Order: sequence, then C-alpha cells, then structure tokens
Amino acid sequence: MNDTVLIMTGKTILSYKGPFYIELISVFGTNIRNFNDSFSNARKKLFKIFIELSQNVSNYSEDFHMVNNVQRIGVGELTLKETDASYVFTTRNQVKDKDASILAERCELVNASDQLKLRELKREQRLNSPGEKFGARIGLIQAVMLSKNKLEYHIDQINEKFSYFSLTVKVDKN
Amino acid sequence: MENIALTSSPTTPYFPEVNFDVNKGTCEISGESYMEETYKFYLPLINWIKDFTNNIKRPIELNIKLIYLNTSSTKCVLDMLEILKDYEDEGGKVKVKWYYDKSDPDMVDEVEDFEAESGIKIELIEFAQ
Repeated sequence: MNDTVLIMTGKTILSYKGPFYIELISVFGTNIRNFNDSFSNARKKLFKIFIELSQNVSNYSEDFHMVNNVQRIGVGELTLKETDASYVFTTRNQVKDKDASILAERCELVNASDQLKLRELKREQRLNSPGEKFGARIGLIQAVMLSKNKLEYHIDQINEKFSYFSLTVKVDKN
Repeated sequence: MENIALTSSPTTPYFPEVNFDVNKGTCEISGESYMEETYKFYLPLINWIKDFTNNIKRPIELNIKLIYLNTSSTKCVLDMLEILKDYEDEGGKVKVKWYYDKSDPDMVDEVEDFEAESGIKIELIEFAQ
C-alpha cells in the first residue's frame, strides 16, 4: 500500500483551514501529544513535526492576516490522519511560484539524504542561517530526521504568480 | 545589570520560564519554547549573557530544562552557546547543563549537535518529570 492510499483511507483526527495563530497551534499540538496513552514516542515526534510545519505555514504563507496592522499570520490548511500503522500529517498553503520550485528542490535534497547526511546538513544550515526572522531554516530536515520517512510534496498552480504547496509527513507508530 | 525573571503560564505554554541571576551567575531556561518571533524573545537573553561576559566577568552557568524547543529556538540557544564559548576561550569560567527527559530519544542527539556546532562542553543530566 503506498502513502497516497494511506492518506486517503486514514481516519481524520484533525482538520483545520484558516489563520495559523500560535494559540491554535499550541492547543492542537497539546491534544496531539496527549490524546491517548498509546504510541507515546510516535506522538512526541508527531508533536515536534506538527509545530515545525504549522509554524512554516504561519510564517511563510503568501495568504495572510494582519493582526493590529503589525503581526502577519499565515493562512493555510492542515490535516492529521491516523491509520493502523502511522500518523499522516499534511499542511497546505499559498506560495509564490518561484518559491514552490525552491521548496521542491529542498524536499528532494532532504529525501535524497541518509540520517548522517541530514545531521550534517542540519548543523551546516543552522550555523549559516542569518537568524533573526529567518529562524534556523532546518524544519524540513528535522521533520525527516524525526519521522525517518521521506517528505511528500505536491504543487497546484493557482495562476502565473502563486501556487498551493502541500507537504505530507508520515510518522510510524512503532 | 538586572536579573531577568519570566514566569510561564498554562495559557501560553510556548514561552519558557526564564531566570537569569546576576549575583549567582546563573541562567535558567525551562519549559517549552516555540513562540512566534523567536528572536524578539531571545534577544534580551542573548544581550544579558553578552553583558555579563563583557562586564561582570565572573563564572557563569547556563541550565537548560526545555522539554521541547522548535528549530527557531535552537538557533537562539546556539547563539548563546557561541557567546559562552568565546568567553571560555578568553579565560572565563563556564558551565552548561542540559536537563533532559530520558523518555525523549531525540533530545540527546540535539544536545550532541549543539556541542559540535558551538564547541562547548554540555553536561547532560536526566530529570524526572
């Protein structure tokens, strides 16, 4: 059974579309971590991946809300599904067309790297990141290091300027 | 130079609790760290450490008790460790302790990466939750 089939057949645990406020991300994340006693290691990893990818939407979505004319909150979608063997988390948000290809290249690079190479990339990237509003730029690397599964991405072009970028990470329960 | 004391709240669990004490030379960060605008939160903490190592010049201890920190927060923690490493290289006394939950298999790897990237020794201590 391939990943796409898993996504289609999984039971939906959480689904949201709208602005990714930190207050919401935090409540959703806490529920993910605590919603049952089983698979606690998988849920710890899932929580970390959930926060990283959700904050990517919040920080970088081209569709956004302004709060008090100061704070920019990205708008997007998230879906969390559960199958017998895994949790499958997907985010989807608007990006500029040129950024969609950069993101796709990053996903390909991360998917082509083994754990050792990922750790090297993570260290290199974090040391060389300009910091401040750019963060550490290692969220995708971290997601694959934690899940040990490849990223799945999909680009849907909206017009000549913008696309939807969706990203899926599978976290095995055991 | 003043102490920094920030308490955590159940309504904002993404901000850690912070206690930086000039007289004791201790800096403690605990809880979770995944706020928005991470650098804005950490900049005063980074500046406090710079100020302490440039002007107070006494032994300093950084105690980190974070159950979770997002990757933006890891960049800020690395900035703090790099300042402490420079201070140590200039002869300053520095101790860094990282308290971790042994049921989290990924935190030890994270601390190893911090050691490798900053060059500073970090003492790993298990804590009971």
